[in-house]
Amino acid sequence: MGMRNLKTLVPLLAVVALAIVPLLVTDRFLLKIFTFAGINVLVIIGLALLFGHAGQVSLGHAAFVGVGAYTCAYCTVELHWPWLLAFLLAGVFASVGGLILALPSLRLKGHYLAMATLSFGLLMTLLFTEAEFITGGVDGFGGISFPSLGPFEIREASSLYWLVWIVVAIALVGAFNLTSLRPGRAMRALHGSELGAQACGVDIVGVKVRTFVVSALLAGFAGALYASVVGFISPSVFTLNASIAFLAMTVVGGSGSLAGPIVAAILLTLVQYLEALIPGIPRETAQTLQSFQEDIYGLAIILVVIFAPGGLATMWKRRLSKGKTS
Amino acid sequence: MDAFLQFFIAGLKNGSIYALVALGFTIVYAATGAINFAQGEFFMLGGMIGAFLSGLGLPLVVAAVVAIAATAAIGAIFELLAVRPLGGGNPLRVIMVTIGGAVVLRQLALHLFGPDELALPAFTNGPSLKLLGAAIERQTVWIWGLTILAVLVLALVYRRTTFGRAMRATSIQRDAARLVGVDARLMVTASFALAAALGALGGLAVAPLTQTAFNVGASTAVKGFAAAILGGLGNPIAAVAGGLILGLLESFAAGYLNPVYKDAVALIVLLVVLFVRPQGLLGGSGRVKV
Repeated sequence: MGMRNLKTLVPLLAVVALAIVPLLVTDRFLLKIFTFAGINVLVIIGLALLFGHAGQVSLGHAAFVGVGAYTCAYCTVELHWPWLLAFLLAGVFASVGGLILALPSLRLKGHYLAMATLSFGLLMTLLFTEAEFITGGVDGFGGISFPSLGPFEIREASSLYWLVWIVVAIALVGAFNLTSLRPGRAMRALHGSELGAQACGVDIVGVKVRTFVVSALLAGFAGALYASVVGFISPSVFTLNASIAFLAMTVVGGSGSLAGPIVAAILLTLVQYLEALIPGIPRETAQTLQSFQEDIYGLAIILVVIFAPGGLATMWKRRLSKGKTS
Repeated sequence: MDAFLQFFIAGLKNGSIYALVALGFTIVYAATGAINFAQGEFFMLGGMIGAFLSGLGLPLVVAAVVAIAATAAIGAIFELLAVRPLGGGNPLRVIMVTIGGAVVLRQLALHLFGPDELALPAFTNGPSLKLLGAAIERQTVWIWGLTILAVLVLALVYRRTTFGRAMRATSIQRDAARLVGVDARLMVTASFALAAALGALGGLAVAPLTQTAFNVGASTAVKGFAAAILGGLGNPIAAVAGGLILGLLESFAAGYLNPVYKDAVALIVLLVVLFVRPQGLLGGSGRVKV
């Protein structure tokens, strides 16, 4: 099979697989797991652009998810605004946050951005906890209504699944266009050599800032979807641990690719729910795996950076090109 | 006035701890050009291992020495297993590995010592000391003494010993150091061990006052880094100054404004310094050569 056929076939198969899931899976909890996977994928598309294409590390993306979630919750529950407006505002607020953080810190070297995003994330967790009049503090924010478009409320598990994955598809098309056109080339040039990119006339700060804002926007949308799907949010969801999980998904997925990080995001999300996914699995095994969840993320980051710096994406690209020559 | 003095003492107490963690950042940065995101976990490990051993009935001195030695060994092993295979090169990869390492070390402590807070007895018992109407806990005196001792020993080692000169040579010009026979890779391993020992010392010294748990590493790392960058990354004296300034800022913000702001201070200082003056208060001209 030629490379070109494969390139059109794989996305097609992915769409078919995603469409079959709600037909095969009738269990509401299982569907919810696949919905969560979609929400994580939305965040990871943004991080794949930021880390995998532009080479910038963020340890604070859970904070943008949180900004989106609280914005959507507050606008719908307290202000009674239409859901779609709240959803869009969630993206706007998160990307404004991204812009405020990115403008100064992206002028600096890479590790300063990692530290700036880390402290931004911790600061936002503190804010979510302390700003009780908006967020409800540690007790959380409950009673968030389901998504609705005009008079139609989306509350069925399968409809929620569709809503999330349609948003993912739209984001993916946008990201794909971004990476295959001039902005994507500029990002990859940055990843290669900032100095070289600058010499070729790439506005490096501009590209970094725009990429960062796009990734914050997608995280904000993901937060709004999470809040509406689950109906309850609390500061413990949007912590450094979540940011590290996102980072692990992105790193395992690999750089310069969208497909790799997406596959990694789905796999690493599903690992959390093995008990529900594999019916026969012993309870102890599932619980042990659950308690080693964070270890898996940490080890995955270390092992991939040492042994397979290109992540999943590079591994299968290499395999494909090997197959072609033999 | 009494309140002011009390806040001042508390600030210098926490500031000393931040100074120790900041020194760890500075040492590794000098050797590798990268930030070690696992630095806070060394602080955590020092306190946790010490508290665990002392809980087993070991004398405090033994528990403390073993905890520092064990943490230094963990720092060296971590460097050998995870950082050395990268072979220098892109600092981004070093950063990623230390982020992963921070998670793994934290989880290791969770699996070994459990999720509960552990306590360490005070180094010496007795009533607080009085100074102009303010109370100074005996443990605070220990913290100051140990920090001063650590800084003095470090300064002596760096100035007077062959090992210290080799460390400094590596941080100034790695390749030139290798040309004159310095084992630069060994120096990187040593820098991780030294940074780990300093972090562990901080974790041990403060554990009797605050208790400690497996998850204190990340917030400590951020504070230590805020201290390091406040002074100017890479300069040990500036790191100590940064630690003390940060401790005082925190203490006054918590005392005069609202205790809620205590943890926010370091984060805000970190962001403001990064944005406005990334070379630090004591750093030279701001231009970074590309």
